[in-house]
Amino acid sequence: MKLTTRQLTLCALLTALALALSYLENLFPLSLAIPIPGVKLGLANIVTVFALYALGPGEALLILLARCFLGALFAGNMNALIFSLLGGLCAMTAMVLLSRRRGLSLYGVSIGGAAAHNCGQIAAAMLSLGSSAPLYYLPVLLLVSLLTGGLTGLASACLFQGLRHTEWRKG
Amino acid sequence: MSRLTAYVLLLVLFLTGCGGAVDPDEAQESIQVIAMDTAMLITTYGECSPAAAYACEDVIRDLEAKLSRTDPDSEVSRLNAAGGEAVEIGWDAYSLLERAAAYSSSTGGTFDITVAPVVSAWGFTEDSFQVPSQAELDRLLPLVDSSQISVTPSPDSNGDGPTATVRLGPGQSIDLGGIAKGYAADKIVKVLQEHDVPRANINLGGNVLAWGDRPDGTPWRVGIQDPARVDEQNAFAGVLALTDSFAVTSGGYQRYFEEGGKRYHHIIDPATGYPADSGLSSVTVVAGLGEGDGSGFPGTMCDAYSTALFIMGEEQALALWRDETQWGEEGCPFDLVLVTEDGRVVVTEGLADRFTLDESSGYQYEIAS
Amino acid sequence: MKSLPKLRPTAWDGLVVLFVAVAALGLAVFQWRDGASQGLTAVVTIDGAEADRFAPAELLESPRTYSGGGYTLEVSAAPQGEASALDHVKSGGETGVRVTRSDCPTQDCVHTGTIARSGQSIVCLPARIIIRLEGGAPDPDGVDAVLG
Repeated sequence: MKLTTRQLTLCALLTALALALSYLENLFPLSLAIPIPGVKLGLANIVTVFALYALGPGEALLILLARCFLGALFAGNMNALIFSLLGGLCAMTAMVLLSRRRGLSLYGVSIGGAAAHNCGQIAAAMLSLGSSAPLYYLPVLLLVSLLTGGLTGLASACLFQGLRHTEWRKG
Repeated sequence: MSRLTAYVLLLVLFLTGCGGAVDPDEAQESIQVIAMDTAMLITTYGECSPAAAYACEDVIRDLEAKLSRTDPDSEVSRLNAAGGEAVEIGWDAYSLLERAAAYSSSTGGTFDITVAPVVSAWGFTEDSFQVPSQAELDRLLPLVDSSQISVTPSPDSNGDGPTATVRLGPGQSIDLGGIAKGYAADKIVKVLQEHDVPRANINLGGNVLAWGDRPDGTPWRVGIQDPARVDEQNAFAGVLALTDSFAVTSGGYQRYFEEGGKRYHHIIDPATGYPADSGLSSVTVVAGLGEGDGSGFPGTMCDAYSTALFIMGEEQALALWRDETQWGEEGCPFDLVLVTEDGRVVVTEGLADRFTLDESSGYQYEIAS
Repeated sequence: MKSLPKLRPTAWDGLVVLFVAVAALGLAVFQWRDGASQGLTAVVTIDGAEADRFAPAELLESPRTYSGGGYTLEVSAAPQGEASALDHVKSGGETGVRVTRSDCPTQDCVHTGTIARSGQSIVCLPARIIIRLEGGAPDPDGVDAVLG
């Protein structure tokens, strides 16, 4: 994978955006409305979806890894890394596979990604606790991911709609 | 332009990082401690949770070693064995004696640590229960008088070594069991603060410290045992929703023995020398941790008052609550849940929105103001 | 742009939604059928040190005994019906744990009856043994601590 300066800049910009979005959603924790640990809007997933289509899987992965490492680094909590990394990678894999299906729209891809993200986080929780107890949260988390995935899908759709006529993609 | 963008991006990165996705709720330590004659459960959360939990255990073990009545080497035992001679005591025992004197005066003598000889006569210290004769009680009751304790603070005490010298009245002995667990809870608050523990659930055998909130962001749910259904777990008079609070329950059902078809419980009225018979079956005292420097003793207070108010009965307990809420200078407002023998649960108004009656308990619910 | 994504929901999206929903419901039904006690672990502590750790259902085959402070406790699985009889909050028929026999003087551990929820414990002070249930389904209606 060889990146042009412009692509590199775009990657950096998207990483920053993803971090900012993670921060933003921490300000309005969804877990207040749905009292289950791990419930999140997953706004940063919008960036992954966008990067996937605009740049490609390799670049999207790069951004994801940078976001996870930087996020954990700045939070000073390397324990959180395994959660975001496993969740992010699962979501990534699911979305790469789903985006190859021509029939699917952004909504389907986002929902699939959100569901996979939750599976990854639960797996991380089970790993770090050494117990199968977190599995009990999964059904509810999956149902919630329909909603959050739909919302991030909507947001990405709006994003692509808005960028339809811009010149940025030649590059 | 692109360089400017890069700088801006760098700035954004650093600004966003600090909030990051920490998950302190995943880190948790739960330890069980048998000490002070009861089973304790310490559950702490956050990155330092193991260190914090074991530091809490150290606090408890340390206090037990100083305050136990059954350990002959403890400061309390040495004091009780001194036969009226002066004994040097450390900071913890000194603070507790000071608190005990304060609560004794604010409860009009209903809370009194010098009731120990009478409690021993009933066999509650050694688990060899018996009903003492009236003659024996008449002999022991004059010893119940905490004004005979003289405490002289050492002038140049700096925390280590003896803090004060104490002299009991002739024949007197003291038992700090009625406030030691509450005092331990107050010390644990400091441990939790030092370890930056975001949330913890500390149960010192019925003294509950609800620190922060639950991992799911809701208040800790603390059940009040239904005194009428002691044999059942999960049989509650009601449930309290607590954050950053202490709660302590005293009830005659907690320890008792039966003789001649009559039941005698362990909460002895210092005025009569007999188990308190005030129409209450349990008293729960709840206090917030309070703001500021944490120099107060809300846990110690709850512990002392739960015993004293159980002895006083409903009317006097509510009167004391009104006085202290309005005029209290000790700086610790508190609230009460009283379970009466005639089937009522009386909750003071400050607690009404945090208390849920257990419908299946069949109690009649009243709010006192 | 590598490829332009579809911006409006399609029938295929419905399939993804359906798949996730079915997975969630399937998992929920599976867990519900399995009983809430799945994942529930009984931890036995003797004199402050962890002595044993097992799933309550393991006791169905044979009870276990633990000794401490000169006393011996026999711990058994509580049959399903019995759990809810003692536990007035419906325990949903999961397997609980109880002390069936003890030679300790207080017998408090035997009188405690059956515990079947995460966080509940049986304590025998004379033997310095604590049996506590951990893990299992999170229970928002359960209490975190008991006063009294």
